[in-house]
Amino acid sequence: MLDLDRLRVCFGGLAALEGVTLSVHEGEILGLIGPNGAGKTTLFNAISGLVRADDGKVRLHGKDITRMPMHQRARSGIGRTFQAPQPLHGLSVRENLVVAQRFGAGELDGARLEAILRMTGLAARAEADAASGLALAELKALEVAKALATNPRLLLLDEVLAGLETAGRQRFITMLQGLHRQFGVAIIIIEHDIAAIRTLCPRIAVLDSGRLIAQGPPDLVLREPAVIACYTGTGGAIHG
Amino acid sequence: MALRNHSGVIASLAALAALLLAWGGNPYIMSITIAALMTGGVALAWALLGNLGGMVSFGHAAFVGAGAYVSALCTLRLGVPVPVGIVLGALGAALSAIVMLPALRLRGPYFALAILAYAHIFRIAATEWTSVTRGAAGLSAIPALPVLPGLDAKASACLLAGLLVLGFALAYRAIRASHAGLALRAMHDSEDATRVLGVNSTLLKGLMLLVSSAMAGAIGAFNAHYIGFLEPDYAFGAMWVTLPIVAAIFGGYRTLAGPVIGALVVSLADQLLFKEWLPIGHQFLLGVLLVAMILAHPSGLLPLAGNVLRRLRPGGNGKGGGHA
Repeated sequence: MLDLDRLRVCFGGLAALEGVTLSVHEGEILGLIGPNGAGKTTLFNAISGLVRADDGKVRLHGKDITRMPMHQRARSGIGRTFQAPQPLHGLSVRENLVVAQRFGAGELDGARLEAILRMTGLAARAEADAASGLALAELKALEVAKALATNPRLLLLDEVLAGLETAGRQRFITMLQGLHRQFGVAIIIIEHDIAAIRTLCPRIAVLDSGRLIAQGPPDLVLREPAVIACYTGTGGAIHG
Repeated sequence: MALRNHSGVIASLAALAALLLAWGGNPYIMSITIAALMTGGVALAWALLGNLGGMVSFGHAAFVGAGAYVSALCTLRLGVPVPVGIVLGALGAALSAIVMLPALRLRGPYFALAILAYAHIFRIAATEWTSVTRGAAGLSAIPALPVLPGLDAKASACLLAGLLVLGFALAYRAIRASHAGLALRAMHDSEDATRVLGVNSTLLKGLMLLVSSAMAGAIGAFNAHYIGFLEPDYAFGAMWVTLPIVAAIFGGYRTLAGPVIGALVVSLADQLLFKEWLPIGHQFLLGVLLVAMILAHPSGLLPLAGNVLRRLRPGGNGKGGGHA
């Protein structure tokens, strides 16, 4: 469904992404890993339209969306979360989802909205002020809920587990698995917790210094010398 | 839309009507009130652009002037009825705002300066385009406002100005309560967070600029027919920027009724009190009043009144925003 073809993004003279070619299939969960500064969030930004690619193509269902503005990509079926939660200020949790559904999905669907609130554990907090009334785990859940309310076919989750304690992470992973089953949406998830990646993702891709250095099943990829080297230097192993 | 949502504007207009009746229809008071309502209308338009579009404008004089000239010229040259002329004035002002749409790419002070520059361009164009506007010589004998049955011209103009402002408040409230209004309010703090949800922020901001400019244009058109004369330095004058901003900030620009109440309080206080106390340079007292309000209660008069009322209530703690 999503095809990246030799994607290149530069910031001044620095290539944040260089020749990234990657495909994501309908309904799959792909883990995107790599050390800090590898270009993972930049890749999400290029897919969602927050930054423009300097070269290469982004295709969704075969359609070239490389030059498409961000709001149109959202309407075309790309939902995303931000690493630092960005609730819509001045609005309640429910209003956050109403905006997402009205503009992203194009119409209000009360049943789906309630289902999203219920499945993300936000039903009891629906009328709370989104910017000031939520704990971190709830803010993370709201990020996912907003993205889901746009009725996406592809969900980009940027470190949604970061900052959560162990039990909270496990609950969040279970929630993500439930959402994936319920809505059948394809997911790319950036995550540093390798154990979580192994649990969620049948396939992973590894970025290092803006280049895609490996992709495939986690057990195979995490044993590749290039992947081990980018995380630990030249030797050792990746645990999790 | 519940009536109580407009209680602030309706109550202030009702209080104003009572005040005018108590004064026995004093023409001087009427004149001040009409001027205050026009300032309030532009202040409301300015606050709408700030609150919903997230833009600070120093260029609303351009819209006031454009609306005034379009309506005056349509009625003078084409024989269009005055009410239609006012509508055309509003549309003309919105059209004039279209050339400002590229400035929406700019943010904060850059947008404010760009729109100020646009306003100056409009004033210069009105001065130099003498074949149409008669330049600095101005337009005179502009057809007067229609007079409502049973009222004299002044009282009729006062009522029409009040209805115009009430219409603006209702439109503002309706936009704010809509889904687009939700998105616009959310855009202030993170535009990217709304765009990623499918919100076309540039389009919404552009629409707010058009609505705000149309409101200011309608006031300009109304004023042209009220005073019957126009020249560029007046129609595009700085007072159409400064007074509405002062009124909106003083009254509470984040509230629906604040800009209108601010305009009424500031105008009436200036003309009825300060001018008595200090005939020359009475605006000095106005400046002191504004500075005092900003320092003591930056959110303005209406939220201040709300806090005071809450404190007076049994068990009230005085906390709360009072935003419309």
